[in-house]
Amino acid sequence: MSIATQGTRNERTVTEQRWWLRSLLALIVLIPAALAVMSYDSVKTLLGNQDFFAQDVAWKSKARFGGSEWQLTDLRAALGRSDIPPDLVPILVDFTVTVGEPDLQKLWLGCRIMLIDAADRHWLPTGAVSFRQADDAKTCVSAMFSGAKSGDTLKVRETFLVPKDATATIRPAVSVGSERPSFLLFQRPQD
Amino acid sequence: MMRRVANLAVFLIAILLCYGMQTTKPHYADLTGPIPAYGAISNTVHTRTFDIGVDKVVFARTLKFDQFGKQKLLTTGGVWAIVTANLAATKDSAMVAAATWRGPDGLSYRASERASLATGGLPMALDPGVPAKTRMVFEILPSQADEAMLLVSGKLFAPLDSEARIALGPVALQADGMPEGTVETYELGKTF
Repeated sequence: MSIATQGTRNERTVTEQRWWLRSLLALIVLIPAALAVMSYDSVKTLLGNQDFFAQDVAWKSKARFGGSEWQLTDLRAALGRSDIPPDLVPILVDFTVTVGEPDLQKLWLGCRIMLIDAADRHWLPTGAVSFRQADDAKTCVSAMFSGAKSGDTLKVRETFLVPKDATATIRPAVSVGSERPSFLLFQRPQD
Repeated sequence: MMRRVANLAVFLIAILLCYGMQTTKPHYADLTGPIPAYGAISNTVHTRTFDIGVDKVVFARTLKFDQFGKQKLLTTGGVWAIVTANLAATKDSAMVAAATWRGPDGLSYRASERASLATGGLPMALDPGVPAKTRMVFEILPSQADEAMLLVSGKLFAPLDSEARIALGPVALQADGMPEGTVETYELGKTF
């Protein structure tokens, strides 16, 4: 009787040990998996708001982004404004965009046109200075609501205010919701 | 017997521990609240998105400013506190949207909307390397002028984002109960 009981106990112990190991292995897999599932939405939202991966675009080249073809056509300083301190420079950035997929309100959601300098400083369009715009020039947001169809060509222009020391290295960049965390980083005009 | 007593003791300690943790648990709003960046009136405070340095604080009985071409005079049952500060974006273009005056008794006053149309008020967009200046106007009780704290953040509600908290220092009260140096009328001009 006593021997039989001892044997059962040993068998249980071995079985228990096996299950204990299995449980441990399952936890090693399940805990990271649970964390990944729980944080999936947060990580997706985080990546959807950030510009992490730059896609370089050479001067005069076009790049397909957010369903359309983007080309930088001009990057210039607007000098001679007496109402702006001499150490600040208004910058005008012009793009020509050939619309591919016309659902711009969805594809260009959260559209950001930026200037990025060598020190990785980011400038967004300014409201502090404004210039008379040609009738067909649009901002990124107004272009979204322009009702443009596939094959249309849009002129997108944004105005920035940057310190003089940044003008030597600034590069225009474009980021839209459907492509984040990637963004386009354009080479400066070469001529 | 001893084992039972020990078990009971462990059980009671566990209950006490759980109760202690429950009662001292920080509120969710505190856990996800703004992250303070402290400073004094004489230094620049660095937050995640902007730097701020308070230039001066002026107290006034009446405010005067132009609104849509008409001169407007604002009186108050308390006192106006006008805080002028220098701002700078740290690395990226940023917004500064909210300012609160916290008095010594813990009374908090949001920047007054009565003077929100005057030049230099918040919200303000900042660009890196482009210096900016703001003028925040608060309508406060005179008793809340001394040892006050100015709270400035990028958003109206800034969970888990840094918030500048600037100690504005001692302010003596006059015989009439107003803060020392209170001017009769302060003009919120175009330049400041």
